[in-house]
Amino acid sequence: MRKAVGIGGLRRQEAERRALSQKGTELAQREIEKLREQITVMKSNLEDFVRVHQREIRNDPVFRVQVQRMCQLIGVDPLASRKGYMAELLGVGDFYCELGIQIIDICVGTRSVNGGLIELDELRRRLIQRRLKGSEPIVEDDIRRAISQLKPLKSGYKIIDFGKRKMVQSVAREMNSDFSTVLTLAQYTNKFTKEDIRLAWNWDLDRIHACVNDMLCLGIIWIDDPDDCCEPEYWVPAFFHSNPSS
Amino acid sequence: MASTTATSAAVGATVAVGEPFQFPEMYNFPPFFTRQPTESTWKEQRRQWCDLVLAYYRHHRRYSLSLAEAVTAPPFVNRQLRRGLRVDVLREIIDELVKQGNAVWTGAKNTKDACLVFWRKPEVWAGMIHQWASERGLLNSVLTVFELANGDDTAGQEFHDLDAATLRRALDVLQSQGKAQLFAGTSDEDLGVKLFA
Repeated sequence: MRKAVGIGGLRRQEAERRALSQKGTELAQREIEKLREQITVMKSNLEDFVRVHQREIRNDPVFRVQVQRMCQLIGVDPLASRKGYMAELLGVGDFYCELGIQIIDICVGTRSVNGGLIELDELRRRLIQRRLKGSEPIVEDDIRRAISQLKPLKSGYKIIDFGKRKMVQSVAREMNSDFSTVLTLAQYTNKFTKEDIRLAWNWDLDRIHACVNDMLCLGIIWIDDPDDCCEPEYWVPAFFHSNPSS
Repeated sequence: MASTTATSAAVGATVAVGEPFQFPEMYNFPPFFTRQPTESTWKEQRRQWCDLVLAYYRHHRRYSLSLAEAVTAPPFVNRQLRRGLRVDVLREIIDELVKQGNAVWTGAKNTKDACLVFWRKPEVWAGMIHQWASERGLLNSVLTVFELANGDDTAGQEFHDLDAATLRRALDVLQSQGKAQLFAGTSDEDLGVKLFA
């Protein structure tokens, strides 16, 4: 641009600046329009892509996750509605629905042992066991998505972390923070004593007794009291898996 | 379930006693040996113990249990875990099995110290015996109970070597169904039976 001098120069600078900014807005508008067009084209391309690669998407969990990420980036949520065209295109609407049902079934089936808390990995192991040979493999991400789809059921399905251990809760209860604290204490050894709690956080005895009793009543923990002389231990069945023979 | 043909019974009769028993996962969970205070948890625990008792006794072809003795050995003791079920808890478990028709208390009335464990119910044994007799053309002839349990003719049958008390119950079932008539001898071993169609 020509270097402006004097008032005239200043006015011209001003005019140029205005023209530029207007142009800038125009440009911005045009860019936005172009982007919109591009997105529409991308969406349509993505739909074609998904249609063509439906089988791979169903059978390859890594690929499936990548495609879903792409969808998210472009602003398309394939699971937004089970009847939505993307869900159908991805052919996965049924997949997550089916998975959700199997998850519910396993959680309900194990509730009387673990009080409605099951380790994510254990859930995955049981899902794989249940599913027919040759059906689509399952990864943790699939379980998370299936569970997020269960939200409308309001039955409390959610994933909770206790330290390093990831658990799926299947009962509509607020995970009381005292429970969480105690469960986190037990994450490595699968068990704890009332004395452990006292030593770790110095809670008063009433609070410890109340917490432990509540957890027992809810079925989240079982008591191990082999002889009446020693202090009983409390075990978390959801954390416990002996070497599975099956 | 009961095999339906004599041949399959012959094949299946040699129980794989050599194969180790597969304990359920719960067996390695120490609290499994403590009676849980929460009723819903206890119900589940009791259910799993009932399954375990029947499976274990079926595997080892054991038919009776004396409580005091039973709690000193597997399956009611897990030596590795150093845990064992208490007698009163085992008694509750057997009571449940009795309710299900899978056990009966033996011994003096109102004592609960010994029982028979029916991992196969007497009615089912009864059916197998009757079918065998029918297929062998032995209906309407008198057999001794001893022959039934130990004779060469029944070698290979599921009920071969069947415990006397359980066999007696099976025959009682047949009698009440009008399919058998028992003849008392001078002792239990002399017991005879005539089976009808």
